[in-house]
Amino acid sequence: MAEKEARKSMIKIKPKKYKVGDIVKVDFIVIHPMETGLLKDKKTGKIKPAHYIDNITFSFDGKPFTTMKVWETVSTNPYFSVNYKVTGKGKITVDYTDNTGEKNSKSKKLKPKG
Amino acid sequence: MKRRNFIKSMVAVSAVVATPMVLMGKEEAAKAKRKGPNDLTYAAAVEAITGGKEVKDSQKVKLTVPEIAENGAVVPVKVEIDHPMEESNYVKAIHVLSTKNGNVRCVDVMLTPANGKGYFATRIKLSTTQEVVGLAELSDGTFIKAAKSVKVTIGGCG
Repeated sequence: MAEKEARKSMIKIKPKKYKVGDIVKVDFIVIHPMETGLLKDKKTGKIKPAHYIDNITFSFDGKPFTTMKVWETVSTNPYFSVNYKVTGKGKITVDYTDNTGEKNSKSKKLKPKG
Repeated sequence: MKRRNFIKSMVAVSAVVATPMVLMGKEEAAKAKRKGPNDLTYAAAVEAITGGKEVKDSQKVKLTVPEIAENGAVVPVKVEIDHPMEESNYVKAIHVLSTKNGNVRCVDVMLTPANGKGYFATRIKLSTTQEVVGLAELSDGTFIKAAKSVKVTIGGCG
C-alpha cells in the first residue's frame, strides 16, 4: 500500500487495577477512514473506493480468544470493546487487516496485581 | 360509440404499457442508489447467519442504543448477554445488524469461554431511522435476539 506508516491504534484495559480472575474490558481503537464506497470526493468528484477493516483477532499470548468479521457499516475510527477474564501475566495482541490487504497489529501487557 | 371505445381502449393500453415502465425505472433507480460492495437485505443476512433456524426474542439480550441519534455516522451500540460463559455452555457469537442500511451486517463477533462474559460494544453508521438488532448464537445452537429502533436525524452512510 501507499500508506506504509503504521496506523495509530490503542488498547485500553478497564479498570486500571485488576487481579487474576477478574473480568476486564479490553477496548481497541484504531484511526481508520472506513470508507463505504458510496461517498464522492468533493474535490475530484470521483467515488472514493471502499476501504474498511474486515478482520480483527484478539489474542492472549498467541492464543486467539475473540475474532471479528467487520463490514463497512462500522463508523470511522472504529472502537471495539470485549471482555476478557484475566488468567495471569501476559500480552494481549490485536491483529487487524483491511480489505486492501493492509496488516497491522498492536499489543499491550497484562499485569494483574495480587 | 366507436370513438368512445377507441379512447377507452387507448387509455387502458397506455396504462398497461406505462406502469411496468415506471416501476422498472424506480427499481433501477433503487439499484443505482445502492451500489455498495457488500449489499445484503436484512432477511438474507439473518438467514445466512442462522441457516434458517428460528430466532427468539429474549430478555437475556440487553441492547443499549440511543433513542435518537443526531448524527447517523456515529451510533454507539452495546450488546450484553446474560448467559454463563463455561466450557460447555457459552455465547458463541454476537452479530450486530441494522434493518435498513445498504449492507445490514455491521460486525460478527466470535467469542470463546476465555472472554468471561458475553459483551460487545462498538460504534456503527445508520443511513435512516431504523432498528438495530443484537443477535446472539449460543453454544447449543439456539439463536436469541433483541431489537430497538433508533431515530436518525442526519444519515451517515453517504
